[in-house]
Amino acid sequence: MNVAVMKTKAEQALTEAFEAVAGKLPGSAAVKERRAEAIGAFGSLGLPHRRIEEWKYTDLRANLKEALPPAIHDETPLTIAELIVALGPLAHVDAYRVAFVNGRHRAELDDTSEAAGLDVATLGKTLASASANVADTLTKSDANGAIAALNAAFMTDGAIVRVADKAMLAKPLLVVFVRAGSGKRSVSVRNFVSIGEGATATIIEAHVVLPGAAVDAQSNALTEVTVGKAATLSHIKVAVDEGKCVHLADWDVSLDADATYRGFQFSSGLGLARNEINVLYTGQGGKLDLSGAYMARAHEHIDTTLVVDHAVPHCDSRELFKGVLDGHGRGVFQGKVIVRPDAQKTDGKQMSQALMLSQDAEFDSKPELEIFADDVVCGHGTTSAELDPDMLFYCRSRGIPESEARALMIESFIGEAIDKVEHTELHTALMTLAKNWLAGSARG
Amino acid sequence: MLEIKNLHVKLEDEDRVILKGLSLTVPKGEVHAIMGPNGAGKSTLAYVLAGRDGYEVTEGDILWNGESILDMEADERAAKGVFLAFQYPMEIPGVAGLTFLRTALNALKKKRGEPELTTPAFMKLIKEKGDKLNIDIEMLKRPVNVGFSGGEKKRSEILQMALLEPTLCVLDETDSGLDIDALRIVSEGVNALRDKDRAFLVITHYQRLLNYIVPDKVHVLADGRIQKTGGKELALELEKSGYADYTGKAA
Repeated sequence: MNVAVMKTKAEQALTEAFEAVAGKLPGSAAVKERRAEAIGAFGSLGLPHRRIEEWKYTDLRANLKEALPPAIHDETPLTIAELIVALGPLAHVDAYRVAFVNGRHRAELDDTSEAAGLDVATLGKTLASASANVADTLTKSDANGAIAALNAAFMTDGAIVRVADKAMLAKPLLVVFVRAGSGKRSVSVRNFVSIGEGATATIIEAHVVLPGAAVDAQSNALTEVTVGKAATLSHIKVAVDEGKCVHLADWDVSLDADATYRGFQFSSGLGLARNEINVLYTGQGGKLDLSGAYMARAHEHIDTTLVVDHAVPHCDSRELFKGVLDGHGRGVFQGKVIVRPDAQKTDGKQMSQALMLSQDAEFDSKPELEIFADDVVCGHGTTSAELDPDMLFYCRSRGIPESEARALMIESFIGEAIDKVEHTELHTALMTLAKNWLAGSARG
Repeated sequence: MLEIKNLHVKLEDEDRVILKGLSLTVPKGEVHAIMGPNGAGKSTLAYVLAGRDGYEVTEGDILWNGESILDMEADERAAKGVFLAFQYPMEIPGVAGLTFLRTALNALKKKRGEPELTTPAFMKLIKEKGDKLNIDIEMLKRPVNVGFSGGEKKRSEILQMALLEPTLCVLDETDSGLDIDALRIVSEGVNALRDKDRAFLVITHYQRLLNYIVPDKVHVLADGRIQKTGGKELALELEKSGYADYTGKAA
């Protein structure tokens, strides 16, 4: 169907912004060419809207009112002390660090000393010298929608992480993206993570804000992950903001034979968020454990959309996502599990749960199993519930005041998802972030 | 002293009246048993004492140490020393038993203006109280009551009681679902708490529990009222004759 659709103000602004900044975006001639193709692709796709099945509950076309100016060669100063403030509880996690401020690498904030087996390059520099082949690799992605096209057009920087075969990283690697400064900006970053055969690593991708930074913001973050044969990656994304930002994130993960991938995402204070995770098994014996915790209040909207593609036999997948929704907060969960005809002995289980703290909160959950093989075990479940008044009474009859009893029960609900994170310091940091959100709830 | 005066209670959402002028006094240092047939209003009495929502007191009053507790929330009553051992203790997934106990104990201490316990002091206290009830620390690291047997749940209730040191203990059908060994452990736990400053209201359907927790007085509750009060021998009488006399009267 060919329908001429009027471009929205934001769509038009995005195309115009590209024309205005194209010359300043980092990249070789080959990269510039790919960027131009990408904005062209975006021009014909437009922003995704509710008539596209995958975007039914998150109508970006209707909700993205304006396009903020892209941050390029940003030089907003940020001290180590400020970085620590921005990281909040995450600062207590002992980790190697690669830091970006407003979408630009800041080597002076990095800490990758004595990180045996770890190699980190940056996208910005790599783009600048990219040959045609490299430019293809850097700009093309498995996610080929409008958001990925925008990312390819505007991306400024990001981490290119390689963990050597058989390496075991002594500490997690923290890739942190900080928003700072009073200017309203949009930031587009892209990361590449490659875990060598038999290697073990923990990588934390954090999107945080320095207090006092512009509250209105947009970010588009795409991460491509390859987990090698028999390698293990724990991959954690933390996005904590102040209630207004538009956060579009995408993980594209491929798992080689016998690889283990433990993905976890924590989101709070995101005005409008779309967290996509696409996982493809390329070898038998892959193990996937995806989980997440999200917290929304006011008119915040957090969308988690998964596609798990069992393309080969003998792979396991587990998904557990839990959301706490207050005010007019809205949670969206779409979990598609595809089991291809050859993918016998697939073992898949999915659970999505929401705790509704308000009558006005909304939870849309759409599990989808597409099973084409006959010898598989797959299941899914979804629940939404309010706090149990009997449990509250039980707590209060023991002397626990109502607000504390509620907090205890919300923590226990969200804690079940956070418990999926095995790293102790990180687990503690995530629980603190959840508690901080709750404390904000009490104030509101 | 607990004084229940002419208490009338109905369900908030229905027109059903459950307690119809119940009066009862339990002095400190005494154990009183409430016995009665199913549907007499025994559990309602327990819940109304503890301050559960869903009930409306239309007449009468409940005084604890001379002060009406009707307008107090459940946690305020707990701070005044009221404790209900539930017939069906709640399971709280995701909250470790130790966290729950510590939160409760510190909340009460705070309300009573006492300093909170340090972690080592708390752990020592829990170990000491748990040992007496055959409750292992490992069991308390698990979520509250989740996956516990009937006996474990009841022992865990008595542990909470021993830890929080209430002055008015209401036990709602604490013997239900217990085998003889569990009944003995639970009863010993309760008896150890008997004290001149503490009042007990033991609600039960069967006389059996009262062989272990010997009451000072027995009240027969039927049709929302105390129908008869006597000594511990009244329980034995009821065991023989049943509640027919009282339910007959009620009908």
